[in-house]
Amino acid sequence: MSALFSVRDLRLSFPDRAHKPLFGPAPRNEVLKGFSLDIPEGRITGIVGESGSGKSTFGRVLVRLLEPDSGQVLFDGQEIGHLDEAALRPLRRDLQMIFQDPMSSLNPRHRVWRIISQPMKRYGRGGTKADAIAALEKVGLPPTFAERYPHELSGGQRQRVGIARAIALEPRFILADEIVSGLDVSSQAQVLSLLKTLARDMGLTVAFISHDLSVIRHLCDHVIVLNHGEIVDHGPVVEVFEAPKSEITKTLLSAIPLPELDDDWFDEA
Amino acid sequence: MSSLHAHTLDVIKLNIALPNGHRLLRNVSLTLEPGEVRALVGESGAGKSMIGKSVLGILPPNVAITEGEILLEGQHLNMMTPPTRRKIVAQSAALIPQDPLTALNPVRKIGPQIIDPLVRIQGWNAREAETRALDLLDRVHIRDPKRVMQSYPHELSGGMRQRVLIAAAFAPSPRLIVADEPTTALDVTVQKQILRLIRELQQETGTAVLFVTHDMGVVAKISQKVTVLFAGKVMEDAPTREVFTNPQHPYTRALIAATPSYADLERPFSPVPASLIADLHAQIAQDDLLYRGGRI
Repeated sequence: MSALFSVRDLRLSFPDRAHKPLFGPAPRNEVLKGFSLDIPEGRITGIVGESGSGKSTFGRVLVRLLEPDSGQVLFDGQEIGHLDEAALRPLRRDLQMIFQDPMSSLNPRHRVWRIISQPMKRYGRGGTKADAIAALEKVGLPPTFAERYPHELSGGQRQRVGIARAIALEPRFILADEIVSGLDVSSQAQVLSLLKTLARDMGLTVAFISHDLSVIRHLCDHVIVLNHGEIVDHGPVVEVFEAPKSEITKTLLSAIPLPELDDDWFDEA
Repeated sequence: MSSLHAHTLDVIKLNIALPNGHRLLRNVSLTLEPGEVRALVGESGAGKSMIGKSVLGILPPNVAITEGEILLEGQHLNMMTPPTRRKIVAQSAALIPQDPLTALNPVRKIGPQIIDPLVRIQGWNAREAETRALDLLDRVHIRDPKRVMQSYPHELSGGMRQRVLIAAAFAPSPRLIVADEPTTALDVTVQKQILRLIRELQQETGTAVLFVTHDMGVVAKISQKVTVLFAGKVMEDAPTREVFTNPQHPYTRALIAATPSYADLERPFSPVPASLIADLHAQIAQDDLLYRGGRI
C-alpha cells in the first residue's frame, strides 16, 4: 500500500496577536510542531484531537489552503508544501474539501445544481445540469433537488450536496473537516455510510477530521491522534483502539458517552 | 415559593401550534420530580426544545400553546397573567442554553451578567449577589473567578463560557433547570466535564433538570427518565435504565442503533429506517385528523 501523502517534519506557526508588543512583531504560536507521517492511498484516515490540537490546521496544509513554515508535503511523490498558487492550480481539482458547516460553504443564492456544476466547469469536467444531477444521484438525492436552494434542505441533505460537489470533480483526495458534528445521529449515520461507500467505490483517499472517536472507529482504516501539534498515537484503527499508547487517546476514548448504561462513567478521568 | 405539591413540573396534554394550525407538540405529557434529570430526546424538528421553551415562556412569537397545562411546583402557569407568570418562572426556573456565545451579551463583562438578574429578579443586595457569583464560578471549577468576572465573553473559551452559564443558571437556586443541548457545541472531553458539572450541582442542590439532547449516549449517562419524541409526539416515556435494557418503541430502538458504539466494529452505520419514519408520519397524520375531528 503506497502513501498518497508523505509529510516530513511539518512545522507551522501563527502570529499570536493577543501578546503582540506595542512595537515589533507578535510572538509566534506553534500549531504544528514538526511531525512526520504518511497517509495511505485509497484508505480513510481519521485525524482526532481536542480543540486546539492542530487537526484542522494540519488538514488545511494537506489541501494547501495554508503554507507550512518548514518541512515537506509530498503529494504522490511531488513536493507541494511550498508551491505558489499558479503551480498549485493543476493540483487543485485533486485536493477537495467538505466543510463543517454547509450553510456557510454552499452559496445561499445559488440553486443546488449550480453549486455542483460551477467547479466542474472551472476544471473542465463537464458542468451541465445533467452532470450535476448525476452527482446528486451518487449521493442518494433525487433529481428534483437540483432546483432547490440550500436553505430548503435539511442539514444532512446539505452535507450530501457538499459531498456531491467534491466527488463530481473526481478528486484523488478529500478532506472532510468535522462534517457530521452539526447533525443528529440518524443523519450522521446516513452521511457517514454514504462517505464510506463512495470512498470504497471510487478508490478515494479521505482524511476525516473529528473529535469523536466512536465515529472514527466505524469509518476509518487508520487514525492519527494529535495533541498540541504533535502526534501522540497513530496506526490502524483496531490497534489504536485496543491498545492506546498515549494518555490523550485514553482520555478521548473514555470521554465519549456511549449509548449504554454505565454508572461509573463520571468517575473515570 | 414553597408548595406541598410533589412534582417540580407537570406538563399535561400540551399542544402548541403555528398560526396555520400545524401542531409542533401533540398531547405531550410528562412529570419531573425534585432532583430528577429527565432527558428529552429526538431528532431535529421533534419538538424537544419546544417543551422547555413552553415551560419557560420563551416560545417564538408565531408559536402558541393551543391546549394543555403546565404546572411549575403545582402552580398553573397558563392561568396566570403574563407578568405574574414571568415572575414565578424567573424565580424558580432557569435555562442553560446551547450556544453560550449568543446567550451572553458580547459588550458586557461576565460579572454583571451573572449578578444583575440576582439583584433585579431575586431581590438580593449587590454584595450578596457578588459573593454568590464568585462562589458559583468557583464551584464550576473556574480557576480565577475574580478575573473571569472582569472578562468579556470573547476572552473565554467555549468550555469556560458554558461553565459561566451553568454558574449563572444555578446561582438563584432554581427548582427547575432547562438544559437545551448544553454540550452540542463542545468537543468530547469538554462535554464530559460539563455533564459532570451539571450532575454534581444538580445532585447537591436537588434541582430538577429537563435535559434536551439528540444524543442517546448523553441520555444514558445523565438522566434517570427519558421522553423520546418524534414529530412532537411522545413515542416512549420510561426510566433510562429500562429504555436501554428493554426499549419498547421501535423508534427508540432505531435511535439507539443509530448512535455509534464500540461494541461491534463491523456493524455498519444504521440510520433510522425510512420505512419506520413513513409509518410514524402516517400514524401522526391520522392522529391529526382525529384531533381536528374532536375539536370541531
